[in-house]
Amino acid sequence: MSNDLEWLLLRKYNSFLVKKASGGPIFSTEPGNLRNLHSHKYSGLANAKTIDIKDSPSGIQVTVNKSKVTPHQVRGARTTSTIRNRSGGRRSLGVVAGLTKKGYRPDLRAAALARTSALITAQKEKKSRPPKKARGKKATA
Amino acid sequence: MASRPTVTVQGEPSSSLPLPAVLTAPIRLDVVAQVHKSVAKNKRQAYAVSEKAGHQTSAESWGTGRAVARIPRVGGGGTHRSGQAAFGNMCRGGRMFAPTKTWRKWHVKVNQNQRRFATVSALAASALPSLVLARGHRIEQVPEIPLVVPSEVESFKKTKEAVALLKSIDAYPDVVKVSNSRKLRAGKGKMRNRRYRQRRGPLVVYNEDNGIVKAFRNLPGVELANVKRLNLLQLAPGGHLGRFIIWTESAFALLDQVFGTFDSPSAFKKDYILPTAKITNPDVTRLINSTEIQSVVRPAGPKTQKRPWTQKKNPLINKALLFRLNPYAKVLRKQELLRQAQKEKKEKKKGSVAGGAFLTTLFAP
Repeated sequence: MSNDLEWLLLRKYNSFLVKKASGGPIFSTEPGNLRNLHSHKYSGLANAKTIDIKDSPSGIQVTVNKSKVTPHQVRGARTTSTIRNRSGGRRSLGVVAGLTKKGYRPDLRAAALARTSALITAQKEKKSRPPKKARGKKATA
Repeated sequence: MASRPTVTVQGEPSSSLPLPAVLTAPIRLDVVAQVHKSVAKNKRQAYAVSEKAGHQTSAESWGTGRAVARIPRVGGGGTHRSGQAAFGNMCRGGRMFAPTKTWRKWHVKVNQNQRRFATVSALAASALPSLVLARGHRIEQVPEIPLVVPSEVESFKKTKEAVALLKSIDAYPDVVKVSNSRKLRAGKGKMRNRRYRQRRGPLVVYNEDNGIVKAFRNLPGVELANVKRLNLLQLAPGGHLGRFIIWTESAFALLDQVFGTFDSPSAFKKDYILPTAKITNPDVTRLINSTEIQSVVRPAGPKTQKRPWTQKKNPLINKALLFRLNPYAKVLRKQELLRQAQKEKKEKKKGSVAGGAFLTTLFAP
């Protein structure tokens, strides 16, 4: 099945569409959409090769499509690799960049790296701030 | 020709079936939406307001001269109603505009071939995982689409067996989705036997009912259909392609007979052969990169970039760019600066006309 035709079929309506603001950007909640934007390039459904990057308790999970599967296969058509927790930015970004370097969707490199680093920053615990000291009148009262 | 793709029968790893021709038929979203819109109208019941509504009064207009609008007014006295306007669609207690009639055209005829085209399109779409996902079915864990189960399922008698089957092929999340989606309907439909609304689950298609209907029908969202009586309203609910269909083996095997193939007519629909696609290869990238097209297009010229390195700068503001364009501007500017400096010097030299002490005494109060 051609991806171009698939995109035409699900461009107008699908269950993942998010149209909130009129005239604003159209988003998509589908898995495999790196920027959550409703477009052919980033679509997780209408592309033979997609990269899905998401967070999980065991670490960041990178899911890609297997190369030699029939178009009808669903569950076995993907492989998931997990980047261990506390791997840090350099390793995590390296794993993702390596994927695109090998020729797997090089056009998604920037988006994949951006998503990964966003996940890494989200994973970090917020530094606790020292309690505010009272100043001026409040200090004396 | 490459070998025909096959579909495995779940639970029987050794057996597989060839992909029926219907599932490779052209998918036309517009045809499906159009036919669905018309066919969905054929189950409506007539309704209308009462013929007499708003006209059960002997109101007549008062005519001009009484400083009120010329709308018919209820005659007599002694009640609040007397003197009130009547009949008009803008009046309280008046009839509606263009009262609905039971003889409205409720049903829409759709040509048989169009109906069949839509059904075939919807079936073809149901064989593509991405379209089934896009419709919202939870099929991420399902091994394969189209999903075929052994024929023994047709003789299931108990829902317990049906649930076990759906769980074994990982199709149960779709039923759970339906179960969780059950909501009280907004509006008056609640009192008209449409109390709840919920999503649609899988459609189970069988060949022979040996108890399968009773086994599955109580599962939320699950619908059943005989392979010989497939219905567009079930195959593409809401006109949206990609219903999740679970086929029994015998139903799946019968598809080539029910719908025919691209060159042999159907056994059940007289003289019906499948519609052929307008183009055999809809893959645009593949078309562009094909030798047929690449051999006739002009070779690519040298790459031109509109902005080779940076943003365009204004030479009237950016001096470095100005000097690059017009080297003499540098000389001009240097001379201009020199002239200004000399002028300043001269003016400074001029200074004031008299000494400070003299001026203070002169302007002393």
